[in-house]
Amino acid sequence: MFGEKVIELLKESERNRETLSPFNDEMIRQIIEEMHILFKLNMNDANATSENKSLWTTVQVRHSALERNKRCLLAYLYDRINKIKTLRWEFGSVLPPDIRELLSDSEYDWFSKYSTNLATFMRSLGQDIGYSGIDLTENLRPPKSLYIEVLCITDYGKLELEDGDVVMLKKNSRHFLPTSECQTLIRQGILKQIT
Amino acid sequence: MFVEDIKNDFYNLLLGNRVLLLVHYDVDAVCACKILQDLFKCDNISYTLVPVGGISELKTAYDENNEEIKYVVLVNCGGTIDLVDILQPEEDVVFFVLDSHKPTDICNVYSDGQVQLVYKDDEENIPNFDDIFREDEDEDVPDENLQGTERLEAVVERRRERKAWEEKRHTLMFNYTQFSYYGKPSACIALELAVRASRCNASALWAGAVGCATHSALHLRPPAQCLLDAEPLNRCLHTQRHSTTAHVVVEKDAWLPLYRWWSVEGALSHASCFAPKLKLHASSGASRLRQLLADMGFPLQQARQAYRSMDVELRRCLLTALETAAPKHKLPVPTRATFLLQKPHAQPLAALDTVYAIMALIEHETLPKAEGFQKALSVLQVSGENESLKQGVSAARKALEAVARLAHSILSSRGLLLAGPFNYFIVQEGTSESAMVKGPLWLGEAARWIASATSGSKPLVASSPLPNGQCLLLGLPPRYDEEPHNLFGAAFEQAAQKSGATVILDYVDTSILVLPVSQRTQFLDALTALLA
Repeated sequence: MFGEKVIELLKESERNRETLSPFNDEMIRQIIEEMHILFKLNMNDANATSENKSLWTTVQVRHSALERNKRCLLAYLYDRINKIKTLRWEFGSVLPPDIRELLSDSEYDWFSKYSTNLATFMRSLGQDIGYSGIDLTENLRPPKSLYIEVLCITDYGKLELEDGDVVMLKKNSRHFLPTSECQTLIRQGILKQIT
Repeated sequence: MFVEDIKNDFYNLLLGNRVLLLVHYDVDAVCACKILQDLFKCDNISYTLVPVGGISELKTAYDENNEEIKYVVLVNCGGTIDLVDILQPEEDVVFFVLDSHKPTDICNVYSDGQVQLVYKDDEENIPNFDDIFREDEDEDVPDENLQGTERLEAVVERRRERKAWEEKRHTLMFNYTQFSYYGKPSACIALELAVRASRCNASALWAGAVGCATHSALHLRPPAQCLLDAEPLNRCLHTQRHSTTAHVVVEKDAWLPLYRWWSVEGALSHASCFAPKLKLHASSGASRLRQLLADMGFPLQQARQAYRSMDVELRRCLLTALETAAPKHKLPVPTRATFLLQKPHAQPLAALDTVYAIMALIEHETLPKAEGFQKALSVLQVSGENESLKQGVSAARKALEAVARLAHSILSSRGLLLAGPFNYFIVQEGTSESAMVKGPLWLGEAARWIASATSGSKPLVASSPLPNGQCLLLGLPPRYDEEPHNLFGAAFEQAAQKSGATVILDYVDTSILVLPVSQRTQFLDALTALLA
């Protein structure tokens, strides 16, 4: 009673700040139940007598407990929303299934809407200078260098870069190329980064 | 055409463009390439680096990579051939040539902007434009208003004039192309560029120092010129902050390759400047070496163990001991001012050792050339643990041992033959050393060793076997250590014409060629007849 559960809920989310814990349906249901009870008791007491002022203090205490519960619940939800927002930047528009399970249905709806909004915004960026949108999630931290030095390990053939240049990737040739172009080829084992 | 301002007319043009970097397989080129790479990295100039071994490789490398490329930088290759004629580039492609091979092809010198030579060497006596080129396609069309005999006379006069001019041109060109030689190391020029771009750090200085050491270690330049080449380097050393990280210093050091990684005895008996003078190939050679060590005051036991675990006292007095003992054995001065790389908590690294390590990696016994080149580039890195250097040093020791064994066996078994105007030796196929000297760098080292063991007053031709019945032929000029102008380039070309041998003149250095083993005797006969 009197906001103990809601504090527990907040503590739980406080304990793992970095990660998203599963949406605590059960606990929230209990808290809302508690709020209903408090509200009913207040209603009874308030309706019982309008003269007897001795009950007023009780009503006031119950009311503040109610308000406190409400504020804490909102804080809990707001905190989760912030975490979900970062999920969008980290994972992109499609969530891995294990993370999807942690979200409640309404949270997932919010996530999809946020995702659509962000995508629309990113598509609209830079249209005045001829780009068809910029992917803001690509480099969240400024990259150390735009170009990296790579050594070609196998005979790959021609590679066309984004700016239209053609690079011939032949075994044992060294190249200094934009980082973004190389990453997939490095993962495929065609190029090797030289540090 | 020469570049006037190395920064504004060369480097600034490259900014923001893709560059194709074609680098020859030699130590100086590796150093120059390292400096350029670091510069390009700073300015985010995206480049493609392809090592090339000869003119045909240069051509394929260019053909494969020329798409969308407007600027090509050639390091130590391409200066001596007519680039426009050989590569057939598009009109708007510009070649920047940084080549220490001389003489520069006259078409490159007088190219109108497509070929730009980054450095103008004052030692080159380039013939004047008017003496070489002449526009008179309209010959034999005298003025209309002349009549009869006058007209005829004018024609004759004009023809005579033309003939005289052609003769003069021929002599000039002959004098110009007669000798092949080396100019200022490309690494020094690259270093100057780095200084102009205010990006002269320890790494660039070190690469420049190794480049300088190459030319004096391999006797590509006269000793006096080597000193002058190092001048900009010395200038930069003083401005360098003496920080706690790696830095380059000039110090008096023994001119003994790899002695810090070897024992004193081992280094002495494999150094191509001392061992031939001690006549180590003769049966009395070993005792002469022991005598030298005794004069130096080094006990044999100490001299035979690894240098780094030698007695500290002996290590300290090595230089003075060598200096005092050398004149007695008629050895050249064993110490010089050399460049050392000093790192905190590590023994200093000599530029000379690095030269040999790079050489050994480029022409490794088993490693393919291109892979060796990549390793050679990482040898020049100044900070951190350097695995490539260790690999290079051990390969260099192996190579030097092979060169010494080869030289000893040739000298003691009278493998050095006299063919009138020059000496020659042939490395037999199937010997254990033949795999080591299949490249021109180590074959050259062996040739210098043998030449210096036999006073070296005659030119020397060396030959080593290559796979597929081919062999490598390399010419060394007489007194190579004083005047390294090489006459064999032109001689080889003429001998090939006269003998009708199917030679492959693919090397950038014209004094090296490849020909079938079966035609070697025929070719050498023609060469003898030519030089006699």
